[in-house]
Amino acid sequence: MSTSNMTRTQWVELFEATGLDEAMMDRWHSEFERRYPAQHQSFLHWIGLSDDEIRAVRSHSQTN
Amino acid sequence: MYTVGQLGKRVGLSRSALLYYDQIGLLSPSARSPSGYRLYSEADLRRMERIMTYRDAGLSLDVIGTLLQANDASAPVVLESHLQTVNQEIARLRQQQRVIADLLGDAQVLRKSRSMTKAQWVAILTSTGLDEAGMDRWHMAFETMSPDAHQDFLESLGIPPEEVDSIRAFSRQLAEARKG
Repeated sequence: MSTSNMTRTQWVELFEATGLDEAMMDRWHSEFERRYPAQHQSFLHWIGLSDDEIRAVRSHSQTN
Repeated sequence: MYTVGQLGKRVGLSRSALLYYDQIGLLSPSARSPSGYRLYSEADLRRMERIMTYRDAGLSLDVIGTLLQANDASAPVVLESHLQTVNQEIARLRQQQRVIADLLGDAQVLRKSRSMTKAQWVAILTSTGLDEAGMDRWHMAFETMSPDAHQDFLESLGIPPEEVDSIRAFSRQLAEARKG
């Protein structure tokens, strides 16, 4: 997985190309956070978010 | 008086260590038995206990020898300089600790992200509101954007190679159909 890592921007593009709007992407994060919090953290780290960014995304996901 | 064996037992040192200490002049027995065996006095025992304390502080035998010879005023100087060495060593170990933790962190991230299964991804996408056609679009977009990443990602979910191949082939067909 390390050789062809996609960045955050590419993941967002992927979801946009799939037809997800921003509300759906928010929902996607919330579902990810609710069901698999540890994997959500790992995923965000893996696509290159900083610790601060991860914290922000995760706390936003929890309030959604 | 204590024999080598008795003193060794008291301070937890081997016989050979005590003989070595005698040899380098760190701790020599104050007496000998009529047959020539080493005999240590109470004062020797106290000196030995000081040696053990300095050893516990991580001082070399060399420095311990100097300390035992020195007057009481110079001991703090030697100890302080040693304390500085210890502090530097701790800083170096902390640095190592950080690097190791970072390395382990990366490994853990990889392991955890790999521990997501296909079913878990599908579950998240489904509850996001993506139907089957949506997931097809997702694969198609993934394949178009970055075929290698798509391959890696599918493998990371534990999907068997033949299924990965067919998902990717299907994604390419969809993309072609859309173009044409």
